[in-house]
Amino acid sequence: MTEQAIRPAVVAGAPILVVNDLRKRYGSLQAVDGVSFEVAQGEIFGILGPNGAGKTTTLEMIEGMRPIDGGTATVDGVDVARDPRGVKARIGIQLQASAFFDELTLVELLDMFGQLYGREVDELALLRDVELDEKAGSQVRTLSGGQKQRFSIASALVNEPRVLFLDEPSTGLDPQARRHLWALIRSIRDRGHTVVLTTHYMEEAEELCDRVAIMDRGRIVALDSPQRLVDDLVGRGFRKERVERLANLEDVFIDLTGHELREGEA
Amino acid sequence: MRRRLTLFWVLFVASVKMFVRNRLAVFFSLFLPLVIMLIFGVLNFEGGGSVSVGLVDEADTQVSRALVGAIESVDTFELSTGDRQSELAALGEGERDVVTVIPDGWGEAEDGPPLTAYVAASAQQSGQIGTLILNALVAQVLIGEQGAGVGPLVAVETVNARDLGYIDFLVPGILGLTIMQLGLFGVAFGFVQMKRTGALRRLFATPTPAGYFLSAQIASRLVLGLAQVGILLGIGMAFGLNLVGSLALLLAVALLGAVIFLGMGFAVAGWAKNEDQAAPVANVISLPMMFLSGTFFPRDAMPEALRGVTEFMPLTYLNHALRTIANEGAGPAEIGGDLLGMAVWAAIAFLLAVRLFSWE
Repeated sequence: MTEQAIRPAVVAGAPILVVNDLRKRYGSLQAVDGVSFEVAQGEIFGILGPNGAGKTTTLEMIEGMRPIDGGTATVDGVDVARDPRGVKARIGIQLQASAFFDELTLVELLDMFGQLYGREVDELALLRDVELDEKAGSQVRTLSGGQKQRFSIASALVNEPRVLFLDEPSTGLDPQARRHLWALIRSIRDRGHTVVLTTHYMEEAEELCDRVAIMDRGRIVALDSPQRLVDDLVGRGFRKERVERLANLEDVFIDLTGHELREGEA
Repeated sequence: MRRRLTLFWVLFVASVKMFVRNRLAVFFSLFLPLVIMLIFGVLNFEGGGSVSVGLVDEADTQVSRALVGAIESVDTFELSTGDRQSELAALGEGERDVVTVIPDGWGEAEDGPPLTAYVAASAQQSGQIGTLILNALVAQVLIGEQGAGVGPLVAVETVNARDLGYIDFLVPGILGLTIMQLGLFGVAFGFVQMKRTGALRRLFATPTPAGYFLSAQIASRLVLGLAQVGILLGIGMAFGLNLVGSLALLLAVALLGAVIFLGMGFAVAGWAKNEDQAAPVANVISLPMMFLSGTFFPRDAMPEALRGVTEFMPLTYLNHALRTIANEGAGPAEIGGDLLGMAVWAAIAFLLAVRLFSWE
């Protein structure tokens, strides 16, 4: 990867998220080493990178979950270092799917999270948005993996966030559930929320993201739309050894097993 | 302010729900003490609140026979008669609360031998009632016979007797045990789980300061603890418990005990990364105290060395304070030593919790 792939990390419309020279050091490890980018309102923005590249640390600093060593992050005009709670009030964060109190029902949890944001919540409407209204009175532990993911997104929407942060949202899901989740994320964006997500799946990034930042060793090494990044690579003379097949194994899988969600077990 | 109260209330209700729906926590902290108490209570069910009195008449004079007649007429006494040796043996076995011996030559002269009441140490409640009545009867009989005041009427001697299940001894111990289990296990299991799953981090992602949730959790444990104390006291009364002391003082001491063990629970939960680490540590703390702090049987029965070591354990202080209040009606001054010991433990537990606690 070369520097040529990085285009100016500034967007045309009014940016809702501005990150400037963000830094974080753990002992001798510079986990985040001068990261800068902007995200426009209504974008789906992806952060890619191998494990340990600094994706999660970057997100956590932006979210006000981790102290910032250097640089600034501004969400909807609020500086996170100055007013972390102001930022937390404006964003929605989806953490691991397990991160809920097992003994409470979905409605009880959404009600509680609403209170934590100082809001009255229409729990059933939120659950309908993620197709979990039938599970309203169930406890979280009875949900399947995909249902838990969708519920964790619903819980991140209780405060009508300006920016929704999703950390590896489709990890552990089967292909059907993953496609289902993509459709949900698109519909959330279509309702005016900005989405920032991390992922290990390149297919997911290509499918969903308007733009992606690729991180390695604490730095952004490329930032553009997926198509432009591919075009750049091809323009520099890169060719795959084998020409891309017209379909891949996942297409076969989906063709054989259908798009229908499987949530009976798990 | 109003919004803060609402928020606290919502979190408090959620905390109560989380706790009562967590079967493991409920079993160890609420159900187990209840079962132990029911088992001990049923095994030693005594019924009626009567005082079991053994009567030995070695004098066999007109005066002594008058006293025997007076004693026989007392409904509260469950009376049995026999010789000194067999009655004292029965006392040692826990079959009598009080054994009264009318010695030879009693009541014949003013400086004659006094009537002796042997009271089982484990049945002090009944013993007190028994000796009170005996004193009154002796005074009545002697004054009637001699028409004059007399010296010491009844000499009381406390005898160590085996009477494990006696409800007055057991209930305060079970209260102490419940408070320990609720604090230690109720917090250690619940919080470690929230830490492991990331649920605490999820709360941290909201603009509400973490202290709200923490205080709601603590408040829910305290309220549940007091409710449990009430339930256990109620069951104890059904089994014939005589609560002599102040209920308010009893609850206040229970609350102080809860602070100690909640602090220990948070310290364990703060240190441990998962339930597998928390459980053994919580057990290592609770098991010795469960059996060595005078929960089920008097610490007097323990070897001297062990008694010295276990004297300073927090549950020992708590059990002793609860028992002294419940059985003897002690006020704050009389349990000052226990309160001091508990205050020191509360401070230690609090410091440990603050040092060891972390959200992740």
